[in-house]
Amino acid sequence: MNSIERMMRVINFKTPDRVPVVAQVFGHAAIVSKVSLHDYIRDGELLASCQINALKRYKYDAVFALMDVSVETEAIGSVLEYRRDQYPICKKYVLSETTNPDLLLIPDPYQAKRMPELLKAAAILRAQLGDEILIVGCVIGPMTLTGQLLGAERALNLAIDEPEKFSRILNFSKKVAIKFGLAQIEAGVHLPIVFEPFGSPAVVPHQFFREFILPHLKEIFSTFKKTGAVCNWLHIAGHTSSILSYYPEIGVDLANFDYYVNPLVAQKLLPRICLDGNIKSLSFIEATPAEILKESQKLLDLYAERGGFVLSSGCEIPPESNPLNVEAMVSATRL
Amino acid sequence: MKQNLIAAILDGDVSRAVIEAKKLLNAKIKPERIIKEAFGEVITELDEKCTIEQFNLLEIMLAGRAILAVVRELYPKGIPSSQIKGIIVIGVLEGDIHDLGKNIVKILLIGRGYRVIDCGKDCPVEEMINIAEKEGADAIFISGLISTVIPQVKRVKPLLTQRGLTNIKVVAGGGALKQSSTKNLNVDFVAETVFNGLNYLNKIREI
Repeated sequence: MNSIERMMRVINFKTPDRVPVVAQVFGHAAIVSKVSLHDYIRDGELLASCQINALKRYKYDAVFALMDVSVETEAIGSVLEYRRDQYPICKKYVLSETTNPDLLLIPDPYQAKRMPELLKAAAILRAQLGDEILIVGCVIGPMTLTGQLLGAERALNLAIDEPEKFSRILNFSKKVAIKFGLAQIEAGVHLPIVFEPFGSPAVVPHQFFREFILPHLKEIFSTFKKTGAVCNWLHIAGHTSSILSYYPEIGVDLANFDYYVNPLVAQKLLPRICLDGNIKSLSFIEATPAEILKESQKLLDLYAERGGFVLSSGCEIPPESNPLNVEAMVSATRL
Repeated sequence: MKQNLIAAILDGDVSRAVIEAKKLLNAKIKPERIIKEAFGEVITELDEKCTIEQFNLLEIMLAGRAILAVVRELYPKGIPSSQIKGIIVIGVLEGDIHDLGKNIVKILLIGRGYRVIDCGKDCPVEEMINIAEKEGADAIFISGLISTVIPQVKRVKPLLTQRGLTNIKVVAGGGALKQSSTKNLNVDFVAETVFNGLNYLNKIREI
């Protein structure tokens, strides 16, 4: 059974040969290959080779054509500052107090800033790995991108003070996600994961999520599915218990859940949706391999009867993580 | 009357909160009493709501906006130094630009009567310490959403010690930092929420 078959079996609540394991290794792949994050996130060929190196080392079930969370906002016009061993930071948001958001243009994924490099990474990964390993792209969810176009605080203020204007920007952000995601599927990813951290109940109440964000996520996922995504994967960090019950309506097939969420609560709220999680991200830096192994085994035991589970971290495995900890998590699925 | 102000702040209704504050002033209630009693109760209520299931930044941000507007109404020239409970230097360290949490903490600290010096985001450790020394800070609050700032956080206490500033407490919070521990971050306190941080400040003031 290859990784894609294994993943699809658990997504459909069928028995796999073993529980799939997906380490959310993004920038950590650069560290494993001893290249700088600065180069990794700007060079599609390098990104693909680092992802393949990390796959060879760790032998997990998915690779990621994913640079960082600022690709879209940069392509739209925000100004980033690049640093050697860190992800870039946004120095200037594209939407200032005086900018008219209606004048923003949806970026062309084949031309805008780093988007073509990400598409190149997707194509190389698909060419080299074919349909053996799940190749995952990434788009930023509409709420998160809106926060990255305006700045987080201004975005939230706008949602309260000028909800119509806020909704127009949210709608624009959805269109960006769809266009970029479709280009990723065309380039070779099996699916683009949707990152929507700013939609977390840690940031906005669940009613806000339901009214403002849910309809857009639903449209994004339904478009991806129609265009060939093998499944719909949603990633929202934090204590998401209050929004998990909306996931079936959104069309989620695979739901990431963070360490804040009790695994038993997650499976109760989503009885027929595959879950992936939820080892604390920071523990890949601070814990020992024995502790990671124990936590992994605990999760595997909890989900043994139900199935519909992918062992993973609750959020990104930080770039500076201890490789032995990643190995420990992967090894738990092979004992 | 005080309850109306509390309700308006909790509702995030800035204009209603200002109107209610004016009513209290007209009723000859002193500004410091309004701050102490009304804001104290607001923060207690938010703290109680701030369980894992109910915590969200938007709601606290809206209450914070109303608190700031009321402070401006009560003290157009700023809070007099005689009423300041302490001085806090706050910032997001170099390598991180996520400042939403930091800004919310800042507002609530102001609401509780602290003078807050904001070092902004992507701030070098040395700069933050220079400001803390110059201002005579009681505590440094560090907010961090991403794990890559952890090495910077660990440098704060040793640098303070080098300069003989061991009386300044270091408090860390935010997405990545709250996953860690005082030992691993080398700080005095790790705040799970903004309210934990405020309670810690109250506690050290009592010592």
